[in-house]
Amino acid sequence: MKVAIIGGGLGGLLAGAALSKDHDVRVFERLDMYGGRFTNLPYKGFQLTTGALHMIPHGNTGPLANLLRQVGADVNIVKCKPDGCIMKKDNTQISFYSFRELLSPGAQAKVPLIMARMLIQRKGTVADIVGNDPEWIPITDSCCGWALSTLSRDTPASEASGIIKHTIGGGPGKYNIPGVPMGGCKAVVDSLANVIAANGGHIELDSKVDSVLVDDGKAKGVTVNGEKVEADIVISDIGHRLTSELYDAGQMNPKYTAVLQKVRPSAGIKICLAAEEPLVGHGSVLFTPYARRVNGINEVTHIDPSLAPEGMHLTMSHQTMQTTDVQKEIKLGLQDLKNMFPGKKYSVLLVQSYRDDWPVNRIASGFDMGNLTPVKGLYIVGDGAKGKGYIEVEGVAAGVSTLLGTLKANS
Amino acid sequence: MRITQICVGCGHCKVFCPVNAIETCGTSRINENCIECGKCKGYCAIGAITEEP
Repeated sequence: MKVAIIGGGLGGLLAGAALSKDHDVRVFERLDMYGGRFTNLPYKGFQLTTGALHMIPHGNTGPLANLLRQVGADVNIVKCKPDGCIMKKDNTQISFYSFRELLSPGAQAKVPLIMARMLIQRKGTVADIVGNDPEWIPITDSCCGWALSTLSRDTPASEASGIIKHTIGGGPGKYNIPGVPMGGCKAVVDSLANVIAANGGHIELDSKVDSVLVDDGKAKGVTVNGEKVEADIVISDIGHRLTSELYDAGQMNPKYTAVLQKVRPSAGIKICLAAEEPLVGHGSVLFTPYARRVNGINEVTHIDPSLAPEGMHLTMSHQTMQTTDVQKEIKLGLQDLKNMFPGKKYSVLLVQSYRDDWPVNRIASGFDMGNLTPVKGLYIVGDGAKGKGYIEVEGVAAGVSTLLGTLKANS
Repeated sequence: MRITQICVGCGHCKVFCPVNAIETCGTSRINENCIECGKCKGYCAIGAITEEP
């Protein structure tokens, strides 16, 4: 079978690596580099990223690690230690599991009820689950913001329950805590590119797909830089909306169009710091519920020092974009970092915004549209087609696995 | 070389610019150091950079 893949981001490369074993795969990437929002950006001796924060949410036991093993991609994912921490109002840190310490006795009394709701509640939002309690909201905002780049009030309860079931709700060993791929995000995409090449597939850079060829409601190939490329199936890693712009609107159905018009990307800001001394002090996630904007910070150079020049640390913060005033949001994020690390030696390497056509998620978590499109043989992967209840790249991998199952069933 | 209004400020152009000609804060802007090498255009995530004035 001939497979044309639009976009060499993580989803496209995962699908390409999996399918290239038995099929003729060509991945078309518009940019001069593959990896999409999951690769390294070398800058001043640091390995910054195009999007992700050099972390895999469920480490070496989650959907991404499992799929990497399945396709034969060789990536060393090292478990983060400790499991996660929270920065208190006085800038000291506690274990994530000690979050009750942040709450008054009255709010602590609600913990069993809220945890039960987190596991079973399907309706409403995370903010509804915690009853919009002002003591809880900063904690849930920090977690939702870091993991999904959404606020509690915008995160569906059903998505939260899925995520919790996949982590603490599933008990020890269900899925692990975060891990860092040694070499950063690029190690993952390079490994997938190697698999595709070894299987005889091709990744073609500077190759912009102009259109998806459709005949009698079925995808028949693509045009790339104006040239026709025939395929039996087409897989797109550029999201539902941008893919829909590549074929005749007459192929759309009203239901699909209505959903497309309704869904929105999630936006965020990442601030990359060059630290002359450890700021976070460990290689795991530091949740920051009492910052005005920053949701969490990591410092993965405790696990992989090669991501920064010798003796330095790469510290990255993430914040949900709460308003459309990006410059104001950045200013507030930078002020948060000043407040959290007073007197520490660091400089700002780069501030990166993610929104519109280069967002955190093409469709905000909890609203994913799945792999299918109105065109037969045209499928979507990536962060607009995640599996439900999976964080970030784990969702991308889960979505690709679902597609692989669909293709197997169809064959 | 000019950055259009669709810029999201992802910073790719700044990282690949060899002459430090790009300032990024929310969106990116090309300053007078630009040597028109075109690297920023090649690595722009969303095709926001144009050679048109």
